[in-house]
Amino acid sequence: MDTFLAIFTVFTQLDLLVLVGVGTFVGIYIGAIPGLSVTMAVSILISFTFSWDVYPAISLMVGIYMGGVYGGSRTAILLNIPGAPSAIATAMDGYPMAQRGEAGQAIGVTTVMSFFGGLIGILVLALAAPFVSEFALSFQPRDYMLLAVLGILLVGSLSSGSMIKGIFAGSLGIAIGAVGRDPLTFTERFTFDFQIMEGGISFIAVMIGMFGVSEALMQLQNVNMKAVRQKIDRIVPSFGTVKKYLPLSLQTSTIGVIIGALPGTGGDIAALMAYDHAKRVTKKPKVPFGQGAMEGLVAPETANNAAVGGAFIPMMTLGIPGDAVTAIMIGALFIHGLNPGPMLMIDQPDMFWFIVGALFTANIFMLIFGLTGIKIFTKIVEIPRSIIIPLILLLSIVGAYAVNNSITDVYWMLGFGVFGYFMRHYGYPLGPVILGVILSRLLDDNWRRAIISEREELGRFFHGIFTSPLSLVLFVAVILIFVSQTPLWAILKKRLFRKTS
Amino acid sequence: MSRKLISAVIALGLSTTIAVAQDYPTKEIQGIIQWSAGGSTDTVMRSVTPHAEAALGGTVVMQNMTGAVGAIALNHVAGAKADGYTLLMGAENPLLYKVMGLGDKDYSEFTPINILARGTPILVANKDAPFDDYSGMLDYIASNPGALRLGSTGPGGLPSVITAMMNTVEGELDVIAVPYDGDGPALTALQGGAIDVMPAVLGAAIETIRAGAIKPIAIFDVEQNENLPDVPLVTSFNDGYNTYLPWGPFFGVFAPKDTPDDVVAKLSAAYTEGAANPDFMKLMEDRGFTMMGISGAEATAFLSKWQQGTAWLLQDSGLAKTSPEEFGIARP
Repeated sequence: MDTFLAIFTVFTQLDLLVLVGVGTFVGIYIGAIPGLSVTMAVSILISFTFSWDVYPAISLMVGIYMGGVYGGSRTAILLNIPGAPSAIATAMDGYPMAQRGEAGQAIGVTTVMSFFGGLIGILVLALAAPFVSEFALSFQPRDYMLLAVLGILLVGSLSSGSMIKGIFAGSLGIAIGAVGRDPLTFTERFTFDFQIMEGGISFIAVMIGMFGVSEALMQLQNVNMKAVRQKIDRIVPSFGTVKKYLPLSLQTSTIGVIIGALPGTGGDIAALMAYDHAKRVTKKPKVPFGQGAMEGLVAPETANNAAVGGAFIPMMTLGIPGDAVTAIMIGALFIHGLNPGPMLMIDQPDMFWFIVGALFTANIFMLIFGLTGIKIFTKIVEIPRSIIIPLILLLSIVGAYAVNNSITDVYWMLGFGVFGYFMRHYGYPLGPVILGVILSRLLDDNWRRAIISEREELGRFFHGIFTSPLSLVLFVAVILIFVSQTPLWAILKKRLFRKTS
Repeated sequence: MSRKLISAVIALGLSTTIAVAQDYPTKEIQGIIQWSAGGSTDTVMRSVTPHAEAALGGTVVMQNMTGAVGAIALNHVAGAKADGYTLLMGAENPLLYKVMGLGDKDYSEFTPINILARGTPILVANKDAPFDDYSGMLDYIASNPGALRLGSTGPGGLPSVITAMMNTVEGELDVIAVPYDGDGPALTALQGGAIDVMPAVLGAAIETIRAGAIKPIAIFDVEQNENLPDVPLVTSFNDGYNTYLPWGPFFGVFAPKDTPDDVVAKLSAAYTEGAANPDFMKLMEDRGFTMMGISGAEATAFLSKWQQGTAWLLQDSGLAKTSPEEFGIARP
């Protein structure tokens, strides 16, 4: 019981409470600025907090993490530029809302739903961490591969209009993700013997270019257009609104926790999968998806914040990072003299409950800071374009450089920005490109691992799929989702419908 | 954070002034870490540097520069001004870049500041593996050819060197090598049963071994390990390993080759003092690393001996892309 009380450490020590608050506040802004990532901020903090005690250091990091994941939605909604990869799906319905003058309402719903998703993630972490981590460990390479295939099938949901163009964009993304030295054999791929290609193309550079720069170029075409006046009277969503989306947000939070807990997948994939899920289960949205559907905001935002709690599950129970940020936090625990690993929960259960408490506090701070700053934030949209566009370009350059301290990334970013502009012009969706880049390695590496493990025999590979319940479920899901996107499904449905009537 | 930012801006402004070696350091030193944040090189370097900073009376700003198995960071520092203001925080693998065809530079372009510590390799198995010790594993491989799945981290990584050693000492072993990008993901896969056996650095596996989630098979060293006194040495099963052991990955701080001697001396002294800090030593020992703290001629000799032994081992087992002879690496 004593160890459980560690959950209240943050509330009883004012300095920790302040640090979590400061972290959350700073995190929201770091998350909102494209290119400034939580991963980067937390790795700077490791050196910065070296001489501190472990509790204050972790408090600050937890705050930044929670705030940062949420903050990415801000610029996604207001400027159509996701501040972080996990907010890509948020832009798809958030920005159309801002264009109608409903930015305040969009941010309000996003904030409350992020809080809800975060809460679910923390609850699962607190109550079921050992079970979830055991489940996550049972994922074999073939299961990760099937998960990646499942992800790639989202192309259909992410591309409005021509499916062919969507598939093209997705394939391009997969190819971009394959550039550079292959991480398994170190063979050079698509490098054409150029040294700058060896390190591959930074995924963040592609994202900032495609969304940030191309959006700025797009808006240059109508610099003098009057900015949309934002209604800011209805910011906090009514209880009825929250209740309406409760079932959906429970489902998408579950997706978030599980994807977050899997080592190797994080909030970005979780948010995209949740968006797709929402699109599938919502039969009659009030506004169509892609034009400002509330469900399109609720799903990714609950999922990416639920993934935060999820990512801590393997970290706390096994010492295995659930994503890039928890990987750095494991390093931080190590530097502060703790031994992160499966024994941490047994040797120092206080640490576990302390982190749960800190996450919970950060989640509350996120709700407070999120709801109070909206009025000022929405003013961003009302700033004249001749001021905001150069600002976006500047931030994009700084952001792309800061990821790896490499000027090459800036060139890539600008190149993809111009390319993305033309893609938009000709009606090619950008979402699938990013999806392809994110999933490229997950698919490629795990397919190879899976087939190598089976001595490169397809028969043994499929035998493996059909004898494992987890693989079988994923495999059936892949088949069903694939078929549902082909004309075959429509014909089948018609037949079945006729029979019953 | 803002204080660091301000000092970084000031440092940028000062960078035009010419530094005199006597009052080195007059501005911030950049420490380029070859691997990503949270990895073992990163944590070791971020733990020792604050102590070294105190001894040096300067600041070292740490930066992770990843990509191309560390070659990007190596090339960056090798191309930087040799004035002691850009340092490489690296691990052992650049010594194998040439023979593995990963790059044309290695530590011969650098002056070692300090080789901090070395890791001990250990062979670990999934807790449900049908054997409990090294000879049991060999029997299993012999009676089930091509069934044992062995984790690897790509050519030149620790698992590939240990596998080469095993193949040389025991004769060709018929196993499947499943590649992972780093020992962290591979150890995760080991716990989940996606692979059966994995050669890893003791520090990365020790906590999981203590928890009983994976089982230790043999330690690849010539002396019993204090952290795991009950785990047998591989040399107790086969004398042949004595030829190649002790062998292990290491962490070191390096400066570009033509850095002035007095600057190198100052840095070496600072890192030697930093590495002797009791907090740092305890941290390293808990994780099963062996402290080295060598510099100067001793470090250079260590590097060339390490490179000769490992490069020829890889060449003899057919893993090397280009013979070490081509680069003038003598056979030990």
